[in-house]
Parts: sequence; C-alpha cells; structure tokens
Amino acid sequence: MASILLKNVVKSFGSFVGVQDMNLDVVDEEFLVLLGPSGCGKTTTMRMIAGLEHPTEGEIRIGDALMNDIDARDRDVAMVFQGYALYPNMSIYENIRFPLRMRQVPKAKHDDLIRRAAEMVELGPFLDRKPGALSGGQRQRAALARAIVRQPQVFLMDEPLSNLDAKLRASMRVQIKHMQRELKVTTVYVTHDQIEAMTLADRIVIMNKGVIQQIGTPDDIYSNPANTFVAGFIGSPPMNLIAGTAQNGTFSSAGIRVPCPANLSGNITLGIRPEDCQIGGDNLQGQVYGVEPTGDITYLTVRTANKNIEIKAGREFRAPIDSAIAVGFDTSRLYFFGEDGYRVGVN
Amino acid sequence: MAHSTHTLEKGAAKAAPAAAVYSIRRPRSATAKKMFPYLLVGPAVLYLLAITLYPGLFAMYQSLFVVKFVNWSWAGLGNYTRIIQDREFWAALANTAIIGGLSLSLQTIIAMTVAFYCYRDPFVRGWRIVFLMPMLFMPSAVAFIWKLAFNDGRVISDLLMSVGLVSNNVDWLSSVWLARLTLIVADVWQWTPFLFIIFVGALQGQDEEIEEAARLDGASWGSIFWNISLPMMRPIIVVAVTLRGIDITTMFTNVYIMTQGTPGGATETMSYFIYRQGFRMFNFGYASAASVLMLLITIVIAQTIVKRAFKSGKS
Ligand SMILES: Nc1ncnc2c1ncn2[C@@H]1O[C@H](COP(=O)(O)OP(=O)(O)O)[C@@H](O)[C@H]1O
Ligand SMILES: [Mg+2]
Repeated sequence: MASILLKNVVKSFGSFVGVQDMNLDVVDEEFLVLLGPSGCGKTTTMRMIAGLEHPTEGEIRIGDALMNDIDARDRDVAMVFQGYALYPNMSIYENIRFPLRMRQVPKAKHDDLIRRAAEMVELGPFLDRKPGALSGGQRQRAALARAIVRQPQVFLMDEPLSNLDAKLRASMRVQIKHMQRELKVTTVYVTHDQIEAMTLADRIVIMNKGVIQQIGTPDDIYSNPANTFVAGFIGSPPMNLIAGTAQNGTFSSAGIRVPCPANLSGNITLGIRPEDCQIGGDNLQGQVYGVEPTGDITYLTVRTANKNIEIKAGREFRAPIDSAIAVGFDTSRLYFFGEDGYRVGVN
Repeated sequence: MAHSTHTLEKGAAKAAPAAAVYSIRRPRSATAKKMFPYLLVGPAVLYLLAITLYPGLFAMYQSLFVVKFVNWSWAGLGNYTRIIQDREFWAALANTAIIGGLSLSLQTIIAMTVAFYCYRDPFVRGWRIVFLMPMLFMPSAVAFIWKLAFNDGRVISDLLMSVGLVSNNVDWLSSVWLARLTLIVADVWQWTPFLFIIFVGALQGQDEEIEEAARLDGASWGSIFWNISLPMMRPIIVVAVTLRGIDITTMFTNVYIMTQGTPGGATETMSYFIYRQGFRMFNFGYASAASVLMLLITIVIAQTIVKRAFKSGKS
C-alpha cells in the first residue's frame, strides 16, 4: 500500500515529447484513472511508474522512495497488460504462481494464495488449462489473478478491458472495482473509455497530447470541466460547444440566444450538455436534422446555421426531418469558455 | 475537374477491350488445371530424384553384391553380416557419435548463450551479420584454414606458447583426444552460426510484453530465459539441432583434409570409413552396405528424438 508521486516528469522520444511536465499525486488506496484519446501519453506515464520506461526528466516516487533508478522488478508493482501477457507455456495455475516463485514466497503458502486469488476472479475451474484454451474474458481474469496474488504496493492496468465485448466489459468493470475496494491497493488505471473512467475512478486525470488537462472526481469533471477539451471529451454524447459572441449579458450565435454573466464580452464558446436541453423554449431555433430513438431515450440533432446541436429528448419524442423546432436550455447549467479554451465567467 | 473526368472516361474505354481479351482466352480443362502445379515443381523433383533417390536405390541394390569393378557377384546379406563383425565399422560409429555429440552440444550451448546475451541488444542486426560469416565460407576452405592453424602452420601452438599454456609445439595428430578436438573446433567454428541465427531469431520474435510482465513479476533475465523463452523455443530447438545433428553425422570434409582418420583411426567418422572402403579399397558393395546402415541409424535416431520432443511438448 503506497502513494505515488510524479514530479515534473517529462518523457521524450528523440525530439517528440510524449509526456510533458507532469505532476501527479496518487493517494494511498486510491483508484486513479488516466483518461484521454489514443496517443496522449497514458501508457507512457504508466510504464514510467512501472519502471519499464525511464523518465527523461523529473522524479517518480512510490511511498517515500525515489524510484528513478530502481529496476522494474524491484518496484513491487503489478501490471495488467492490454494483451494480458500470460505465459503461454504454463498452465493458469503456474501463471498465477510465477510471481510467488520469483519473489521467493515460501512454497508452503503458494497453493493457498493461488486459490484465493483465483477465487476472487472466479477462475477456479480453469486452473489446469493453458492460456490458449481460455476465452478472452477468462484470460483477462487470469491476468488479474496473477497481479493480485502477491499483494503488491501498486496495481497498474493498461486498458485491461478493451479487448472484451461490451457485456463482459460491464461485468468485469464492477468486478475490478469491487476487488480494488477489498484489497485496498493503490491503483492506476488507463483507459480511453470515459464510461469506464467515470464508473471506476476515485479521481480522473484527463490528458491530451502529453499534458494533463484536469484532475478531479468524476462528478467534478462532469460538472466543472476546466476547458473545452475536457467538456468535449466527457459525456455521451459530449457537451455541445457553440462558438459565438457575448455582449451586455447575452450570448448569441446563429439561432441561439442565452443569458450570460455581464462581465463576458467578445468571442466566447458556449457549452451545453445534451441532457440539459428540452423541447420547447426560446434559447434555440433550428431544424430537425435527425431523430434516433434508442428505446429509453431519443437522440435529437438540431441544425443551426453554424453547427449541429445534440439533444437528449424524451423516449416518446418524434419529429419529421427538416421541421422547425424550438429548444430551451437549463440556464443554470450553461458553461462559457474563453478564446484560450478555458472556463470563464465562473463566480 | 474536367481533366480528371476525361482521364476517367479514357480508363473506362480501355477496360472494356481488356475484359474482352480475357474472355476470349480458351478456358483450361480441369485436368490441365490440376496438372499445372506438378509441371512447375517437376524439374526440381526430377533433379532431386536424380541426385538422391537414384543413388540411394543404387546403393541399396549394390549392397547386396560383392563388387570388384565390373564383376558383381550376388552376396545376399553377406556384406551386412561382415560389417556387423567389423571392428573398424563400430569404431567409426563410436567416433562419429563422440565427435558429433561433443561438437553438437558445444554448438548448441554456445549459440544459445550468445543469442541470449544479444537478442535485445540494439546492435543485434550487426551481431547477426558478424556471426553469420563463418557459415559463408566454403567448407573445404575452412578445413584448410584449420589444418594450417593446427598442424602445418602451427598458429594455435604458437598462440598457446605465447600465453604460456604449453611449452613445446603441440603435435595435434599425436593424441586421440587432441586430434578429435581439432575436428570439433573446426566444426563448431563454422556451424555454430547456423544455430545462433535460428535461436536469436526465435528470441527476437518473442512477445516483448511477456518479458515485461515477467520483469514486473520479479523475474531476472536468467529466469525469464529458463522459465519462459526456453520452453517456448522448444520445437524450434529440436528441429534446428536435429538438422545440425544429421549434418554432423555425415562429417567428411574436415576429416578428409585435416586428419584422414589419424591417429590410429581415432578420428575416422562413418563417412570417412565409407569413403575408405569404397574409393581406397574399392569394396563398393561393402561401402554401400555401410551407407545403408548409416542411413537407417540416422533415420531411427532423428525420428525418435523429434517424435518424443513434440509429444511431451504438447501435453
Ligand atoms: N518507444 C517509443 N518511441 C517513440 N515514440 C513513442 C514510443 N512510445 C510511445 N511513443 C509515442 O508517444 C505517444 C504517447 O504514446 P502512449 O503513451 O502509448 O499513448 P496512449 O495514451 O495511447 O497510451 C504516442 O504518440 C506514441 O507514438
Ligand atoms: Mg496506450
């Protein structure tokens, strides 16, 4: 059990900077999720914590100990790889046992520990099989069991669910969260899937192009996005971002008019979530572009001169394409961003 | 814009006659289609049959006769019963096993060790080229080089004297084990690269993520090798070592050029024994019988090894 500290960490590959000046403090027993689009430096960050990659600059600490010069095998960190990385020539039992053997855990304890770990991920009946004879989900659980069996200081998981189908992913998600709470091991989890991030995390770190955009609880990130990148990344569909101008307490864009804080003026981007819009109202005038019923909810796309706006309408909502429509916004849930993309007009 | 439409039309106009030409071509009959692949491999197969199967069958046939040049007299299995009682035959078999076994073990160990140390080296491509060199020499040239180094030119003796390991010139052909050693050194020098290239390729192909997982599980590079790489490479090792082993059992060039079986037949391998019987003593039937026996022995051993290795690898 330990905290993790990254201080001014930089990782360059030649002239390309993969991770830029990163500062991160993972609290003991925390479940921290690194979230961001593909190529933003999540894996690189995680591999530096694991010791598989050396930071170009900066400090990495686990607990209080400086890790920069400590070899990966001496860091007491367990990692679940995206491709599982099970040892193909060993049975699942031997796979889970491998870290115990390598770390000189007394032989007498092995069987007990292995069975307990296998139990936790419900892998009991498959212990005698080779990895090749397991399904994707079972391999995933075997990789998890191998990581938890020796109770490391830190868990690292790199997109562990991305190779599973949607249903299995949902059930594994719950299982991982439950397991982490039970074991109380500090966990850093990498994903590009915002649903995974929102459901699993104590805190989320949103990254883009090697730079941290925002760190906060899922609620915080959802309700108080720091900039347009975060706002446009979280939510499904994500927040509508509409370019326009503010003047005398009113924000306007083609077909759109909303009140805004009086101190705003000039080019401003308005943010409004699809779930904070309702049919009927006087904030938006446009034409119906598309109606997508999904059963419990209907996604409506409204066309304005500048942009298509996504709206979550009630399950009964239907409208012919190209018909005129008026939409109201929940004006207590408007977001305004300045020209640099950062949030403005917050009191 | 207009330009691109134009070229498009031109392309379409061209395509039509091309299709027509294709459809005019006489459709091949089903048998002709089936025969075509055989036709392609035919020359190669004929060539192989001419240089392997024909001499093989000829040797089997000849082994049933006592042959004095053009006089063939039927001997039945006479040649075989004589060989089984021939001490020189058994000695040659033992020499082949000793020299070949030691040489093959050394080659395997050296190739594996070097491969292990350089497969994740950034310069591994360079290493591969460097280690490949000895294999590219003509075998007889290599044999002459080592003959010079050991016997005629005394290079090795001089080197050993200069570091103080020996005080006089070593006569390599004076002792059974020294003479065998010269053959082993020459073979190891030339053919370790063959195994090295195969082993290093297999190691390089190993999933790097698995190595990283093992690192994080606390494994040293050594234990990764023993616990993960080696078992994964098992089929490759078996095949490579078997191929090399078969090659070594027919070791001839080095013996012919470097030792000629001396001292006292201690370095006479099976191939050299057959050569001596056939082309020095002109016992063609006898030599043929010996080659047939050797072929049988090689097949049986190789089959057993491969079968066993793959069976236990699967379970
Ligand atoms: N070994 C490497 N050499 C060069 N560039 C790399 C290397 N590893 C990662 N990168 C680059 O660094 C960036 C971040 O990669 P990564 O951390 O894997 O992103 P992700 O957030 O998708 O996990 C990518 O643009 C990638 O191409
Ligand atoms: Mg990644």
